[in-house]
Amino acid sequence: MSDKSVKDKITQVSFHGSARLDPRLKLIMLITLGCTSFFINGDVPELLLMLGVTVFICAGSAPGWGIRMLVIYIVISYLNTCLKYIPIPVVSLLMGIFGVTIIKAIPVISFGRWVMKSTYMDELAVALERAGLPRSVIIPFVVMFRYIPTLGIEYRMIRNTMKIRGVCDSFIKIFFHPFSTIEYILIPLLMRCLKVSDELAASGTTRGMERSNRRYSILEVGFGVGEYLAIVIMVLFVVTLFVLERTSIGQYVLWRQI
Amino acid sequence: MIRFVDYSFCYEGMKEDALKKINLEIRDGEFVLLTGRSGCGKSTVLRSINGLIPHFYPGQINGELLYGDISLLKTEPSAMAGIVGTVFQDPRSQFFMTDTTRELAFGCENMGWNRDEIIDRVEKAVNDLELADFLGRSIFSLSSGEKQQIAIGSVYAMTPRVYIFDEPSANLDFEATKRLTHILKRLKDGGNTVIVADHRFYYLRDILDTAIYMEEGKISEKYTKDQFCSLDRNMRIQMGLRPVYPEREKTDFAVLEDHHISDNERKIFKVEEISFGYVKKEKILNNVTFEASTGDVIGVIGHNGAGKTTLISVLSGILKENSGQICFDGKKLTRSKRRKLSYLVMQDADYQLFAASVDEELTLGVSDPNKAYIEDILQRLALIEYRDRHPASLSGGQKQRVTIGVSLVKNSKILYFDEPTSGLDLDSMERVSKQIKELSGNGAIIFLVSHDLEFIAGTCNKILSLDSGDDGHMTDISEELLVKYEREYYQQY
Repeated sequence: MSDKSVKDKITQVSFHGSARLDPRLKLIMLITLGCTSFFINGDVPELLLMLGVTVFICAGSAPGWGIRMLVIYIVISYLNTCLKYIPIPVVSLLMGIFGVTIIKAIPVISFGRWVMKSTYMDELAVALERAGLPRSVIIPFVVMFRYIPTLGIEYRMIRNTMKIRGVCDSFIKIFFHPFSTIEYILIPLLMRCLKVSDELAASGTTRGMERSNRRYSILEVGFGVGEYLAIVIMVLFVVTLFVLERTSIGQYVLWRQI
Repeated sequence: MIRFVDYSFCYEGMKEDALKKINLEIRDGEFVLLTGRSGCGKSTVLRSINGLIPHFYPGQINGELLYGDISLLKTEPSAMAGIVGTVFQDPRSQFFMTDTTRELAFGCENMGWNRDEIIDRVEKAVNDLELADFLGRSIFSLSSGEKQQIAIGSVYAMTPRVYIFDEPSANLDFEATKRLTHILKRLKDGGNTVIVADHRFYYLRDILDTAIYMEEGKISEKYTKDQFCSLDRNMRIQMGLRPVYPEREKTDFAVLEDHHISDNERKIFKVEEISFGYVKKEKILNNVTFEASTGDVIGVIGHNGAGKTTLISVLSGILKENSGQICFDGKKLTRSKRRKLSYLVMQDADYQLFAASVDEELTLGVSDPNKAYIEDILQRLALIEYRDRHPASLSGGQKQRVTIGVSLVKNSKILYFDEPTSGLDLDSMERVSKQIKELSGNGAIIFLVSHDLEFIAGTCNKILSLDSGDDGHMTDISEELLVKYEREYYQQY
């Protein structure tokens, strides 16, 4: 296997196919997906929506993640359906609401996480800049993405020190003192956040973060044939789903009534 | 040429000037070391040069600061970005992107250069600084030293003429420090002006041109390389400075007479065949076996990644061992029992301060606090006047003392310190050393994870090395052993 040149390594991507679409489009798709998932009802349209998301993600170098989420969706959907046949007074209702919310959230979580993983931050920042968002919005957005994995690391370190101190280290203690537990986790977390954000801001400022010139990212960002095609497909798909669900022709297609 | 002309600065809200009418000239291409006790004003000088003062740190300025003919006081930090590049102390909180390649390009993208130029510049940085193996990786998968290399690369790609480093060696092991020296030499050979502020400077002894000693906001002394490297030992200690040639300071390493551990002391803490790996196939700890007595102060050393933090996490009960056993006083210890006996003082005290006041912090987690005992602890640690203050408002050294106070209240038998002296000046290091010796005098077993060989030599009586070849072998500290490590750490510069 030939050694890649440095230039190739710089411009290489880990996510191909649909992942290479403009970040603005991906965000618009995410929002559209959220709305569609929220408003659409009925098992079959919802399942079709999830299938559509899975196909899209698999075309974007993340088949493992896509299929895993699809399986989770199917399992929960099945459990939801079973729930309809087991009536227990209050619990059924609560579980039912919970179940429906989860089902509607799964496609969004699936797509959202894929967007986060497959989009490079510099592309996202440049795309948002082209969309006209001010730096004061873009910078916190970018920092948020970079900080979320760090939060996990910080949280674990705090939990470790709490265990050593004997503070809220067992399930019983947490159960009986939930607010104290949250306080003891939040305070160190906030202190760390303050420190890190201060240092991060200083580091960014000295590297020109506040400059107001036009920026370019390592990989091209822009609306081309692929993007317009994706928009067309997305619109057609969403319209089809709503038609299937709401119109009589749709119901006929779904063998509900003749 | 950078010129400070009667330059004074007072941080907003502070009563005293941080810098008092300093006059300083730094020529183009000069390599300058700024050093002095904590709080002497080194960081303030650096912040003035890169524009963070006054735009990021507001305050009152008097005097003038010039770069060539331009007054830096009238220049925004955004305009300074392409001229002055800064690398900060903590590698973990400097990066904006999650991907290394993007982080290298971050500065260039901000400057507004086009795609081809950005790729060319990143390519040059990768080639010049030997970063090819780090491309396209997640920043979270890098060690401290590697993160710092990326931070330097990110600044290098912007081709500034002036490089500023604020305590760059604080979080590095000895190998990473050697790599840092190599990079700094490269920058100097490229004709750039390099300004480094640090408490430890043995790694700069061959490349610096000028050393500036600051005291309470004023420039006290200015030395050439030869003058600085041949400073009289007593003079150096009076100035609160670490040695330039630590391997030559034999008398500083005499610890044996300080420790009154008789050989009859019972081996109370027995660790047998401890193995651990986060992933089954990759063992970080391999059959680590040793015994320790009460009052032992054990230095845990090894390069980054050798497993020092993992070892103390297992010993203190945070992690569960894959195999082996740990006994204290003849009884086998489960994880929770280990946690009850132990206390871990982390490098960053912010992770372990939970309460709203120092008083409350000391009584947290204790079911029946002894008020008199706590008063005594506050007195001993010079914290009595801060007892009602919020721990977050204290200085780094004070926070560390609070965590030591907690360990005293908890009456932990085994204490673990993770890099307690990173970023500390000589006086603070000696204070920590003294506190630890006091704790061991009370009968605690203490483990010190540290890259600071001087600190270990002055505080420990045993060394546990995790480097391959030593593999968890504990030995008494001795002159020969120290010479062996000194050779590794300090020579070949």
